[in-house]
Amino acid sequence: MRLARVIWAFGRAALLDETAYRGELLGNVIRSALGIAMAIGGLAVVFAHTRVLGGWTMEQVLVLLGVYYLVNGLVSTVLSPSLNKVVQEVREGTFDYMLLKPAPSLLLASTRRFVVWHVSDVVLGAAVIWVGLARLEANVTLAGAAVFAAAMTAGVAIVYAIWLALTTLVFWFVRVENITMIFNLFFETGRYPVEVYPFWLRQLLTFVFPVAFITTVPAQTITGREPLVVLWAAPLIAAAALLAAVRFWRFGLRNYTSASS
Amino acid sequence: MTFRLGLAGPLAMLRAEMADMLQYRVVVFLYALWGFIHPIVYMAVWSAVAGEGDVGGLRQSDFTAYYLTFMIVSHLTVAIEIYTFGPMIQYGRLSPHLLRPMHPVWVAAARNLSYKAVAVLLLIPIWTALFLVLRPEFGATPASIALFMLSLAGAVLLSFLAGTGFALLAFWTTRSGSSWEIWMGLTFLLGGQVAPVELLPGVMGQLAAALPMRYTLGFPIEVLLNRLPPGEVALGLALQAGWVAAAAVIVALVWRAGIRHYEAVGA
Repeated sequence: MRLARVIWAFGRAALLDETAYRGELLGNVIRSALGIAMAIGGLAVVFAHTRVLGGWTMEQVLVLLGVYYLVNGLVSTVLSPSLNKVVQEVREGTFDYMLLKPAPSLLLASTRRFVVWHVSDVVLGAAVIWVGLARLEANVTLAGAAVFAAAMTAGVAIVYAIWLALTTLVFWFVRVENITMIFNLFFETGRYPVEVYPFWLRQLLTFVFPVAFITTVPAQTITGREPLVVLWAAPLIAAAALLAAVRFWRFGLRNYTSASS
Repeated sequence: MTFRLGLAGPLAMLRAEMADMLQYRVVVFLYALWGFIHPIVYMAVWSAVAGEGDVGGLRQSDFTAYYLTFMIVSHLTVAIEIYTFGPMIQYGRLSPHLLRPMHPVWVAAARNLSYKAVAVLLLIPIWTALFLVLRPEFGATPASIALFMLSLAGAVLLSFLAGTGFALLAFWTTRSGSSWEIWMGLTFLLGGQVAPVELLPGVMGQLAAALPMRYTLGFPIEVLLNRLPPGEVALGLALQAGWVAAAAVIVALVWRAGIRHYEAVGA
């Protein structure tokens, strides 16, 4: 209860903070729309030469693209602002103040900031999913929607775990502003179903850097494709990744020597 | 404002920028890694489409050769001015450079070249490994290699001028990034990134042939892989030269207007 109030307070403060930059909203909407338009144009070029790509139709890949933008939007709204602030504070030595606050440090570190304007990616991503499903004339049952929601939740949990683990590296290597770029680098491959990639890359993207569980698996569940054999593994991998990332964060925190001492 | 001719200044600038880049080699390397991701994704996509057959006459091995060349060409033609020269203008760091007897555009050029040179040292081992593993088959001939060098030089120059042109918008707006994103988006679609230009359907293909984006990226690759008849190579080189000249004039005009604006603000 108290924790919910803490999150609410941070959320409100962030909102007030961001209303100072209202002009950003329009710029971000245009940027998101442009990015999605180019991506759809790219799909049109590919599908001008084929009917299926790695077994996926254009409409199914469209849904997957929507999932990609939705997750991307969540990352840039909540995750990257909060965790990048941790990186900045550790470097500047003000992270100590956060540790002194009477609330769990991980909760504060992960929810302190949110850049509400990037919600445009989330909304447009959802719209692309909707358009894709409409063109598929997919019969989405309540149960199907629930499975999709579960797969999305698992995907987002994996994203969070990867970001948290990369951020935790800051306790050893102070200058890691660019380390989160590694996530974006791998995440780019999530614009296409993992079946498209050659065997070694597919294994890498499924088991080592599980991008497959972030975009391919959720899109699989809702587009009526035969579920990937690994679907049942999604919640397990998500739970394991979260657990490992949280433990790594705690371990990192114990190694944190502060800037002033 | 007059600038003394001669290369002593630019060369000194290049040495300084080189030392600066070497300091940040890890960051430089991380940025350079971006040059791999798109070619790998689209190499995979088109290989999946082609399967055992071909797409518009291009087989899997052709896509491998195309996108491996793409990795090198896109690194050599990347424009970073929007992140280097743009902020210099925006935060007033341009001012001291205006006092020097050398055109400030040389600063941008020196930084561009030193970024590419430093990153290339780190990229060459990876490129070599990829070539050894994937063993692309090139339809290159001595003539196509010579023409490739020529068109590559044109592409490097054109993309630098384009990057500088968009960076100069920072004289007027703090949001020059948005227009650059449109340019990059068009390069993605029409420049030979999402697909070799010859695979672009209908009007997209015609647009790509006329607009400048292809001549900053895809054109040299097509030339090297012998995908174009001689007439189209000549036409492409002429168009590229035309775009370089046009871009140079535009950049010069925008610079003159911008620098007047900059002084007028009193920055």
